[in-house]
Amino acid sequence: MTAIDAPVTTVAAPRVGLLDWLTTTDHKRIGILYITSAFGFALIGGAIAEIIRLELAQPGQQLVSASTYDQLFTVHGTLMLLFFAGPLAIGFANAITPLQIGAADMAFPRLNALSFWLFLFGGLIVMSGFLTTGGAAAAGWTGYAPLSGPTYSPNVGMDLWIAGVALVGVSGILGALNFLVTIYTRRAPGMRMFRMPMFTWTILVTAVLILFAFPSVTADLAMLFIDRHFGGGFFDPSQGGDPVLWQHLFWFFGHPEVYILILPYFGIVSEVIPVFSSKPLFGYRALVFATIAIAGLSMGVWAHHMFTTGEVDLPFFSIMSLLIAVPTGIKIFNWTATMWRGSLRFTVPMLWCLGLLYVFTTGGITGVMLASPPIDFQAQDTYFVVAHLHNVLIGGTMFAGFAGVYFWFPKMTGRTLDERLGRIHVAAWVIGFALTFIPQYILGAEGMPRRIADYPASTGWEALNMVSTVGALVLAAGMLPFLLAVYRALRRPADAPSDPWGGNSLEWATTSPPPHHNFDRLPPIRSLRPVFDARIAAEAERREAERHEAGGS
Amino acid sequence: MRRHAIGGGWHPRRLIALGLGMLVVVSVAGCMPAPATTQAQDISNLYLVFLGGGVIVAAIVWGLVTWSIIRYRRRDDRLPAQTSGSLKIEAIWTLIPLVTVLVLFGLTVRTLEAVDTVNPGGVNLHVTAFRWQWQASYPDSGVTVTGTGGQPPVIVLPVDTPIHVTLESLDVNHAWFVPAFLFKRDAIPGHPSLFDIRITAPGDYPGACAEFCGIGHDQMLFTIRAVDAAQFNTWLADQAASGSAAP
Repeated sequence: MTAIDAPVTTVAAPRVGLLDWLTTTDHKRIGILYITSAFGFALIGGAIAEIIRLELAQPGQQLVSASTYDQLFTVHGTLMLLFFAGPLAIGFANAITPLQIGAADMAFPRLNALSFWLFLFGGLIVMSGFLTTGGAAAAGWTGYAPLSGPTYSPNVGMDLWIAGVALVGVSGILGALNFLVTIYTRRAPGMRMFRMPMFTWTILVTAVLILFAFPSVTADLAMLFIDRHFGGGFFDPSQGGDPVLWQHLFWFFGHPEVYILILPYFGIVSEVIPVFSSKPLFGYRALVFATIAIAGLSMGVWAHHMFTTGEVDLPFFSIMSLLIAVPTGIKIFNWTATMWRGSLRFTVPMLWCLGLLYVFTTGGITGVMLASPPIDFQAQDTYFVVAHLHNVLIGGTMFAGFAGVYFWFPKMTGRTLDERLGRIHVAAWVIGFALTFIPQYILGAEGMPRRIADYPASTGWEALNMVSTVGALVLAAGMLPFLLAVYRALRRPADAPSDPWGGNSLEWATTSPPPHHNFDRLPPIRSLRPVFDARIAAEAERREAERHEAGGS
Repeated sequence: MRRHAIGGGWHPRRLIALGLGMLVVVSVAGCMPAPATTQAQDISNLYLVFLGGGVIVAAIVWGLVTWSIIRYRRRDDRLPAQTSGSLKIEAIWTLIPLVTVLVLFGLTVRTLEAVDTVNPGGVNLHVTAFRWQWQASYPDSGVTVTGTGGQPPVIVLPVDTPIHVTLESLDVNHAWFVPAFLFKRDAIPGHPSLFDIRITAPGDYPGACAEFCGIGHDQMLFTIRAVDAAQFNTWLADQAASGSAAP
């Protein structure tokens, strides 16, 4: 009676060539393109991080010049935030959201393809700066003027950075419109707003945030470009401009961006924990409202990046930033309550989420500390901030991102990733994270500034930096079992069942991978968990039939 | 222990070890330098309150998660009770954090009032940041100290005296950071900035530029040398007489 138990009809799939991938408008393939490209950028950004850590392992200049070092950390930050963490979320959204709402595709499939190619070429354009004589952009991923202006960054690499970031910004805006329209108009009959899976909710809210935030950075970049080439003087005090304006416009984008980079990943956690706890998500509506509250508050906290400028209202931005801890806390507590009195299976996706509950919590706590301006007077621009942001982006975004990869890999490819390699991956990343970033918190508290290519031996920072570098190498090594698992899985035949985990939402009601049109039929949607309902109904039907048989004989 | 087809045999002990490790994070983040100004003392006190609160919050979250991992791991195929929420308990974990952050905000505002005010009297110091050095001048006596390549400036200041710092930048954004003062302030071109410090203990305090400003950023160092008021006045008179520190 349900799609779940329907025998998997394997029609010999037509061979998919390169041209099919280059011209596809299928949301599932675009999702895979996004996720693969995002991980490609992450591997490059990660390799750069390893060079940075090796350079900092000891005082003195060993590997790269100060000029190269500055290009490396600029491109590392830009790639990881704007070309990995964001597009990975968009990739999951592409691959999963239409399935979760029972749609056949996105509302605007060709616009969707355009978004992907803008993003991919944006990243390549940023990196192409390395090939130019002046080198890549070297003003930090925050691109603060006047350092990024015509006088202090005359290199073409800086312009390529502006162009690349502007392209990914436009890509994000187009993608956000597409997701909004898709979620509002393409839901299957019965899929009311308050039956939408939490991941879809987070994508909806993230799309709204993108529409508010991205135009601000686009304007900022346009002004910087005009400053650089047409003597605009927007950020040049000698022409009546203002360097603080750059920061306002940048962080008006940049702080909502932080939540754009975490809300979809909270959505993934909200999908994974209920499945492997065999319980419904605890406080679904509260989580929806917490997501909206985080998004709303995130529009009013941008100047907490500017506490040390002496140019902003400290109490206002402090209280707004502190308040975000409340809805974020609700999420953590509701996930824990979902596990409470559940029946927990420690699969690899679940292990990533459990790791997140431990690690992300410290990032949240240090975030509350940074929201207090007097504490920020010490911590701003030190390794404390570096540790904090990596704590939330690795312990939050990346842990949940890996949970999503292991969770949905069977759905996207029809193949399951090896659990044993996955466990090694989790263990290496948890240990690597602790080794890399606990020392950085201490270094920051001791006063080590960020973005320095070298530090004097007299500071006594050598031992902690060495430990941090070893940790970074553990993180790199931890990627090997993951890449091996992906490689092995892709060489096997696609034999994953429709619902390998005992899932709740509609993506598990179709084959793995789904047919081009996604669904042959949909189970009835009468709650937040249509696939769970169908499974229970099928189970009851089977028992009833058995009872009849036993009674009849 | 029964093994399931998917993910049955994993020992959550490793995660508990991680929990303990993370506890270390929060505790050791308290390794700030001993506060050397009255403002730094206030900041340090606030920091310890936040840190203590953070340790409590972390202990609660990790405790609940750890308990769930141990107590509720899958034992059989029975479906647990399908509890989907509780208004009362959710109200509790909304209100308690809300009250907590409001208290933390109150303490923040109180500390801000103490550290972010400019007091009358004392010594004026004018600090100018430029790529990649510092210049410190004492407008009351006309003395100027400028760092040169490889020779960061030593800025001599009196203890137990309010010092009004005016900070500005000639080119890009910099930041004046003295770890022992637990304080930094951005030097932004076109935006002279004012703040007060009152050093409590004599000694040499290393300082650095904290806002990335180009390839010489890591070389942009300075030292604050805090001496008692009499020594400071002697030093200032010597500098003014020798004229060696003329701008």
